[in-house]
Amino acid sequence: MRILAIETSCDETGVAIVEDGRRIRSNVVASQLVHQDTGGIVPEVAAREHLRVLDALTEKALRDAGRDLTEIDAVAATVGPGLIGCLLVGANYGRGLALAAGLPFVGVNHLEGHVYANWLYELEGGEPPSDPPPEPLIPAVVLVVSGAHSDLVLMEAHRRFRALGRTIDDAAGEAFDKVARLLGLGFPGGPIVERIAKEGDPNAFPLPKAALADRYDFSFSGLKTAVLRLVRELEKKGTVPIADVAASFQKAITEMLAEKTARAAAEHAVETVLLGGGVAANLALREEIARRIGHPLRVPRPGLCTDNGAMIGAAAFYVLRHRGTEIPVAVRSDMKLA
Amino acid sequence: MLLALDTSTDWASVALFDGRDVLAEETWRAQRRHGDELFPAIERLLASTRSALSSVTRVAVATGPGSFTGLRVAIAAGQGIARGSGAALVGISTLDVLAYPHAPSKQRTCPLVPAGRDQYYAAFYQERNRKWQRRSPFIVASLAEICRQIGAHTLFVGEIDADAEGTLRDLLGPKALFASPASRMRRAGYLAELGWRELETRAQVKMGEIEPLYVRQPSIRVSFDQPFAPPPADERALGLPKRS
Ligand SMILES: [Zn+2]
Repeated sequence: MRILAIETSCDETGVAIVEDGRRIRSNVVASQLVHQDTGGIVPEVAAREHLRVLDALTEKALRDAGRDLTEIDAVAATVGPGLIGCLLVGANYGRGLALAAGLPFVGVNHLEGHVYANWLYELEGGEPPSDPPPEPLIPAVVLVVSGAHSDLVLMEAHRRFRALGRTIDDAAGEAFDKVARLLGLGFPGGPIVERIAKEGDPNAFPLPKAALADRYDFSFSGLKTAVLRLVRELEKKGTVPIADVAASFQKAITEMLAEKTARAAAEHAVETVLLGGGVAANLALREEIARRIGHPLRVPRPGLCTDNGAMIGAAAFYVLRHRGTEIPVAVRSDMKLA
Repeated sequence: MLLALDTSTDWASVALFDGRDVLAEETWRAQRRHGDELFPAIERLLASTRSALSSVTRVAVATGPGSFTGLRVAIAAGQGIARGSGAALVGISTLDVLAYPHAPSKQRTCPLVPAGRDQYYAAFYQERNRKWQRRSPFIVASLAEICRQIGAHTLFVGEIDADAEGTLRDLLGPKALFASPASRMRRAGYLAELGWRELETRAQVKMGEIEPLYVRQPSIRVSFDQPFAPPPADERALGLPKRS
């Protein structure tokens, strides 16, 4: 089964062609650099940009895959969660494309996309690899961390998720963005903070970790405020050792995420730990989690951690295979994983 | 056959047109539900006329000005349909569609579309040398500012509620004329006629070039505590759900 999949929930426009939920035939992503000036995502600007590039990206995804629409079996698009004006562009384009081409349309939960990014693999020299990586084993504990989400879930079976915890204030990626802005590092914050942190001492400044005792929920706003206070104090004394602040912040946030992920994996009988979302591309986080768990850890390669069409194509395949009675189509900005 | 799609404002409309006649049309108050209601409406049109989408060779979409989010629903859908079927796609201004049926009145005509924050999108249409045309750029302004540009009798069409009608009467007195409630509404049948005519006379432009007429720039403001800038007034006016 070959699916053409569209992702427009935030500031990345992605179109991909994925076979059998795993094999990426093409995967084109246009990142919206326009937001670097404002240091944050402006929903209206993002929606305009999606509409401007989506049809051209679709044409390119088909061309890269060497396929035309008659060789596609279904069209999928993200229908939530995300910025409503952005979701509507991809979903309506996808529904129009599906209707006109006589194909089924599959609405996909963006968070399921981040989970199923772990099922994807790429071609080698234009051909499917002779021994593709095995499917991740389930049940699994999954941590989805991005600029908009921090969800810890138990994946009991395909498309059966149980919420363990989520952020009660900022998303993890949001905390990276805010600290980056505070340190004058630019946007998006994740990759920049990670790069600067490599040159700093993670033990330079002890930062508080929210004590939500035995729950799996996260809270990052206290950490963010502590970094703000620290920087203001350092400014009064003279120059701010940016690398040390970035490294200390990164240590605190990765420990918070890794500690609860590891505890969830220990308390539930799971086979694997899976990561997803833009923050999962952070190497320090991956190392911290790997160090604390006794399970195999699966993380998509960085380009598949951030938003892309291929992950939607992977999730759509499993939606069709385990759909129950109805295929979702309605756009919902506040959709949850479980 | 031509499929016309208009989701420019709270009101939405779709029509099927065969080059001579409107075969089916549906106009409804979608408010903020365009995204969910557009495709069921298209499917009803096709079913009621026993048409297959494969017989649609042309698609016309309303390009505004209007609700930013609303406009993108029909334009994205139209682009998708055109990509999927190979149909030609054309964009027509929402204000052109509103003014068009009033051309025979020979009145100077001003279509109004709410723009939020007590402002309206507007333009002026008039017959001159036997040619009915838009005679102004697309503007976004308060009713008082719009009326300042009006000296002669003017026929107002479009989405004019009781308050707006009262304001226009106060500002212009007897110079303000109003089309009857039904005739001042937008109908996709008119969009279809205009779109068909446009495609007869002009070559198909690239799909990505069909974009909403935004007229107004988005407001951009970002603070430390709010990485996502506030939604534009347009979305507030539409009452769209907030970001989760
Ligand atoms: Zn994401």
